[in-house]
Amino acid sequence: MSAVPAALKVNHRPVDLEGVPADERLLDTLRWRLELRGTKEGCRSGGCGACTVLVDGRPTLSCLTLTRELDGREVTTIEGAPDHPAGRAVLEAFESEGAVQCGYCTPGFVMALTGFLGRTPRGHRSTERLLRELQGNLCRCTGYAAIARAVDRAGREAP
Amino acid sequence: MSGAGRADAPVKLRGAAVYGTDLSAEGMYWGALVPSPIAHGRIRSIDLAPARALPGVVAIGADEVAGLLPKGAAAETPIFPKEEVVYRGQPVAAVAAPTRALAREAARKVRVDLEPLEIWGSIDTLLPEWPGADPPRIGALNAHVHARHGDLEGAFRSADFVLAETYRTSGVHQVPIEPHACLARVDGELWTVETSTQTPFGCREDLASILGIPEPQLVVRGSWVGGAFGSKGSALLEPYALLLAKASGRPVKLQLSYPEEFRLGRSTLPSVIRIESAVRDRRVVGRRVRLVLDTGASLPGRDFTLGYSAGFLLGPYSIPAVEVEGYALRTHKPPFGPHRAPFVPQCTFAVESHTDHLAHRLGIDPVEFRRASVWTEGATTGLGQTVGPFGLDAALARAAEIVREWRATGPPGHGIGVAGGFWSTGTGAGGEARLRLTPTELEIEQGEREIGSGSVIRGIAVGVEQRLGLDAGAVRVAYLDTATAPFDSGVFGSRTVGALGQAAEKAADALRTELGRRCGVSGAAAEQIRLRPSPEGLVVDLGDRRRAVRELLTPEELARGGLRVEGRHYGRSGTIDERRVLEGSFHPFNDFVGAAHVAEVAVDPEIGSVEVVRYAAIHDAGRVVDPTTARAGIEGGVAMGIGTALLEETQWGADGRLENPSLLDYRLPTLAEVPPIQVEFIEGYPGAGPRGAKGLGEPPIVPVPAAIANAIFDALGVPVGELPMTSERVARALKRL
Repeated sequence: MSAVPAALKVNHRPVDLEGVPADERLLDTLRWRLELRGTKEGCRSGGCGACTVLVDGRPTLSCLTLTRELDGREVTTIEGAPDHPAGRAVLEAFESEGAVQCGYCTPGFVMALTGFLGRTPRGHRSTERLLRELQGNLCRCTGYAAIARAVDRAGREAP
Repeated sequence: MSGAGRADAPVKLRGAAVYGTDLSAEGMYWGALVPSPIAHGRIRSIDLAPARALPGVVAIGADEVAGLLPKGAAAETPIFPKEEVVYRGQPVAAVAAPTRALAREAARKVRVDLEPLEIWGSIDTLLPEWPGADPPRIGALNAHVHARHGDLEGAFRSADFVLAETYRTSGVHQVPIEPHACLARVDGELWTVETSTQTPFGCREDLASILGIPEPQLVVRGSWVGGAFGSKGSALLEPYALLLAKASGRPVKLQLSYPEEFRLGRSTLPSVIRIESAVRDRRVVGRRVRLVLDTGASLPGRDFTLGYSAGFLLGPYSIPAVEVEGYALRTHKPPFGPHRAPFVPQCTFAVESHTDHLAHRLGIDPVEFRRASVWTEGATTGLGQTVGPFGLDAALARAAEIVREWRATGPPGHGIGVAGGFWSTGTGAGGEARLRLTPTELEIEQGEREIGSGSVIRGIAVGVEQRLGLDAGAVRVAYLDTATAPFDSGVFGSRTVGALGQAAEKAADALRTELGRRCGVSGAAAEQIRLRPSPEGLVVDLGDRRRAVRELLTPEELARGGLRVEGRHYGRSGTIDERRVLEGSFHPFNDFVGAAHVAEVAVDPEIGSVEVVRYAAIHDAGRVVDPTTARAGIEGGVAMGIGTALLEETQWGADGRLENPSLLDYRLPTLAEVPPIQVEFIEGYPGAGPRGAKGLGEPPIVPVPAAIANAIFDALGVPVGELPMTSERVARALKRL
């Protein structure tokens, strides 16, 4: 970790982090400093998965990540998902399978699944495995049924 | 086709939906509540000075409230306690500050000095003799209900046998993934709050009574709602946020942390249930039930749950002699609140487990045993209500087929259980909707927010679309604030489609009549009127000719955004036979909605862990309005029920402390705990909703804990008798064998 972070990129755009306190969480940086409130605040302690974003393509809980540790990294949020190759397929699968109810857990699920699909080549994406990877994301509305259908579809359709 | 037509999905998938937690405003301050550190105590002093010493901090307590409210405002209940705190975490003061961190720090700085008083932490300590013959000690009684009918003594005296059982249930929390959050501002006379609520008008009514401000000076604007499940049905944070906004002269954001959500959100609390059944000639001839419900720091007379849920404890069966008695006890926990089908999954767990145990004792197939006495249309309930069209028997018959199929295909050792359940749609609470027709679109102007189930965004639109011959998704739902929307009672009680949907359909009928008048047709010809899209905008299709909507609107209507037509629907509540009521107030059922669920479980006999491997839910839905939405709601309700059955429990210490206020210690079902759910509908038993629709928001959770309990009983031959059926409790039950 560098003492004075120069910059990180959020959805491909450089963000100057000068003046960000050392204890600021990525979740708060995104939501209140960058006004990207598509990333949802749930439990703030890593239990619900609603705040999941990608850091260098890897699903990451933004509530447990300190912004100043991300010098030089690339962050992708739900607002950037349409520009991510796997992200677009995931968004389409969630919409067409009716996997969105209240929608509060949705950005976290979308980013977690996008991250896994982006790093897992076709042929290694059994639905069972993908579902196991999503056990850290909680949903209270859907009973996960439509989400599982969307996961299955996205696994087949994402590049 | 699945999921198409939910206009909220693209907005939510873009991350563009603004929930309560996302609300913000220029110059906004953050609020924080100061919690009571103990569950019961007399207030010696509350010193706000240390908080006020921090830069920019505004702090308010009981002494400041009157000065902040308009002159003459008459608040019904104190917002902050003046003399006594009655639960741990009860807000005793509130602060606002320019940043969230500073607000939290300021809240911690407030010095709260209390003299500890005796704590009623658990209903067990209040009920040393329960479940003995005597009624519980009633030193802290919030409500008492008692009803009886028939020759109960005779039934028990002449019984072949009596089965008497005690059940216990734990507190469960709604845990919406979005915690409570709102943004308040005061501009002159106008007190406005944007909030994540399932009842904007109910919230306004609460605020009027809590703050004593007349309703016309209060505006409630709903945000997107990140899950509610009953928890966002009355004002909670809004009064504090408004007072802080007044005190600071700023917009104030107030949002609960998860630990606060667990402590302050109004959740279900523990209970003890006793059921005794007298059996003669293989039938239940008499039943006596008693319910003791912990209602926390709820105020006397405020609890709806007891008089409603107690009626469910007799089960959906014809029994000649019955007695039901319920006690709502006050303890030093947060006030009890409604959780999806308030307390009825717990009542159903008790009575439907008991029903299986009776069948087992008699050596009768449990589904056949139920079908011999289950209500059908025309039956009379224990409280003397006549049952309307009711599809539970048909659902049970289908459940029996599924059981046979699963027995033939499932591995040996798995348990299979069935439970029936019923629900009553809404409370007769009514509502109004307004259609706005422009030359290019049709919109429903209304006052609710979509809370996730689809009951607003699809449920009330489908009927309008069908009435006017429009494609699914053609009618837009507009969300207005309480100052501009027509009144509606709220999204609760599985009433939205039945009441607001019916109001919207009536508005569609009125629109057709009005368009017919303008086209010179009436009667049957007007009823044939359809709206059609065209490249030039909407046209009125009269069968033999078409007229553009644009030509039919007056210049005034065009200038004011279109032709507006209102519809209203105020349903009637059911009636019970008051001669059977000895004390208190029981709430009648309205529509009778039935469901039969089938669960297959694998139980590990060593450690007692239970896995639900297959699940089927068969629902009497009257008429299915929107199959995709209906199915999704049932899948979600079953998953939530699995949580109530196996995992979820708020653990309260004897000192009134909630010991597990986090997702690490309060376990919700994950993808791993929820099996595939087979959903089926029984139609042909129409309800009071539009063209026979019945409410479907709450019924899916009702039979779940019971179905899983019966599957465990089938696997092990021993009842667990307590919710949730954790591996520890299952293992303990096995030791009793």
